[in-house]
Amino acid sequence: MTAPQIATTGLAVPSRLVRARDVLAFEWTKLRSVRSNYVTALIAAVATIGSTAVIAHTVASTPAPPPGGTIPALTTSFLGYAEYAVIPVSVLAVLQFTSEYTTGLIRITFCAVPRRWAVLAGKAAVTGGAALLVGEVLAFICFFLTQAMLSGRHRGVSLFQPGVPGSVLAAGFVLCACALTALSLGAIIRHTPGSITASLAAIYGLAAFCLVLPSPWKEDFGRFTMPFAAYEILAAHPQPGLLPAGLSMLVLIGWPAAALLAAAFVITRRDA
Amino acid sequence: MAIAVLGAAVAFVAWCLVDLARAGQVRYLPKWAWGVVICVSVPWGGLVYLILGKARPAATAPWEAPVAEEAGLGPSGPLFGRHVPVSPAVIEVDRLTKRFGPVTAVDALSFTVRPGRVTGFLGPNGAGKTTTMRLILGLDAPTSGRALIGGRGYQEIIRPLHVVGSLLDATAVHGGRTAWFHLLSIARSNGIGRRRVVQVLEATGLAAVAGRRVREFSLGMKQRLGIAAALLADPAVLIFDEPVNGLDAAGVRWIRQLFKSMAAEGRTVLVSSHLMSEIALTADHLVIIGRGRLLADTPTGRFVSGTHRDVLVRSPRAGELAGLLTARGAVVRPEGDGGLAVTGVDAPAIGDLAAGHGIAVHELVPRHGSLEQAYLDITGDSTDYRAGTRTPEGTAAS
Repeated sequence: MTAPQIATTGLAVPSRLVRARDVLAFEWTKLRSVRSNYVTALIAAVATIGSTAVIAHTVASTPAPPPGGTIPALTTSFLGYAEYAVIPVSVLAVLQFTSEYTTGLIRITFCAVPRRWAVLAGKAAVTGGAALLVGEVLAFICFFLTQAMLSGRHRGVSLFQPGVPGSVLAAGFVLCACALTALSLGAIIRHTPGSITASLAAIYGLAAFCLVLPSPWKEDFGRFTMPFAAYEILAAHPQPGLLPAGLSMLVLIGWPAAALLAAAFVITRRDA
Repeated sequence: MAIAVLGAAVAFVAWCLVDLARAGQVRYLPKWAWGVVICVSVPWGGLVYLILGKARPAATAPWEAPVAEEAGLGPSGPLFGRHVPVSPAVIEVDRLTKRFGPVTAVDALSFTVRPGRVTGFLGPNGAGKTTTMRLILGLDAPTSGRALIGGRGYQEIIRPLHVVGSLLDATAVHGGRTAWFHLLSIARSNGIGRRRVVQVLEATGLAAVAGRRVREFSLGMKQRLGIAAALLADPAVLIFDEPVNGLDAAGVRWIRQLFKSMAAEGRTVLVSSHLMSEIALTADHLVIIGRGRLLADTPTGRFVSGTHRDVLVRSPRAGELAGLLTARGAVVRPEGDGGLAVTGVDAPAIGDLAAGHGIAVHELVPRHGSLEQAYLDITGDSTDYRAGTRTPEGTAAS
């Protein structure tokens, strides 16, 4: 590179790896420098662990052992997690884009990183990664907490039983999938209340609607929603009418993937 | 130790993943299979660790090292002046048009902003200044035409903050973030070091409040923060939209000096305003638009002298003098306080005329139109026109 070229651009062109790290560092610095993000994660953790303990206590103190062997015992671990972790983390993910759009900060972001898909990818990596970490930690805490309380009644399951570790790991991923779906909807809708409503509708609303459908339709449509797919995976045992675990996992991956693609399509074509 | 922990973590995750793939099956992997998984995972974990370790070898992470230094532009010493513009970073706006539905915000606008001078970008409210700046910065897509910076579209520039620093809206910040983290995040996005963040905080007088959250800032402090962000990478092109809003008198003087010194260093400085009085003392060149169209693209000095001249005359026999002047082809407009505003005849001719007829003249002042007056004259039509019908193009677009 000759001297005039350097002066024109002002600097050497960094490699793709360095640029990717720039975007990740950008989004990570933004995520970690807002206190409400920590508060949200703390609320999610406290609410999840607390509700899990209550649910486990209730189940453990029920006199009749539920039929079905290990399945209820494992699913019990995630009843609290599925709501009290997913809702706050989804709201946090929505805010990653909507807070920038409502304050106008998004224009600074797009001026700093004009390739908008890179901004989306950076936010998805950082928020999704954080959600995955929080999700895995909470999933294992919920699992051990519940099983510790159930094992006193000899109804617990061990992490070393077949199907169990995969289920617990997948439970952590559920949080990441929900967060990425919510993040994308935030990028598409831009307004905080609308995005939160849309995210909760996508995550819970559709499944709740499927639950009230007559029986063949209930499973036929319901198995493509995230809660049904998550239930199949978390049960660690094939459920009648639902997709097998591998396909259910694809459903859990497909929702955030489709939402991210839609968000990438929209934000690269729209005026900021 | 770290390798062992990482390897164990990878092995555990691999175990869980294999289990997930087998979920629902009755048979279980034999014990020796786990031995294989762990034996394979641990070296891989070590390899990943080594690669990650290699990727950031020194004590300074990549974003810590200013790239300008690598490019041989010298160490980061003084705040400004590291940039040595050899090739001019010109902003070229070429037949730029932006329509929002039926409204034409920017209408076939063409002008060039050159380095080494402060260019004032003027127009009444709603003239399309902000839209033009957003088009230059690649935030909005133009309906037609293009805007180039140093021959490139903004979106083609890699690490653009090193080339263009901009401030569009000082209030567009996340209130929950401190000034330090606001600037640090922007700095990291373009590989700018922490030292530079400290420098711009000191230069803009925000060092003492760097740890405070932005929502506690006044508008003037937010303006300074926005200017600090624009200066982060020491860019050759600076674009400011209404930067004086909210600044106190000292701040206004500071920012004027800043613009002038930036231009003197050979940078391209584009500053918008809707008030001529804010710009008149700073700008060397004026680009004036109204209703999205170019009204004037001229050096500031020529803009003043080119318009609106008259001569103020006071005389005890004003009525008689007015008659004589009118007879000579001058246009005489009586002012409220008894003076006469005369156009068409210059001051010496008026004096001679009065002397020839023995009329005493108490005051004879040639007046140049003020910048403010010239600006109001040129934008008056476009402002009035706004309330009326739309342009034919605008109607066609709907």
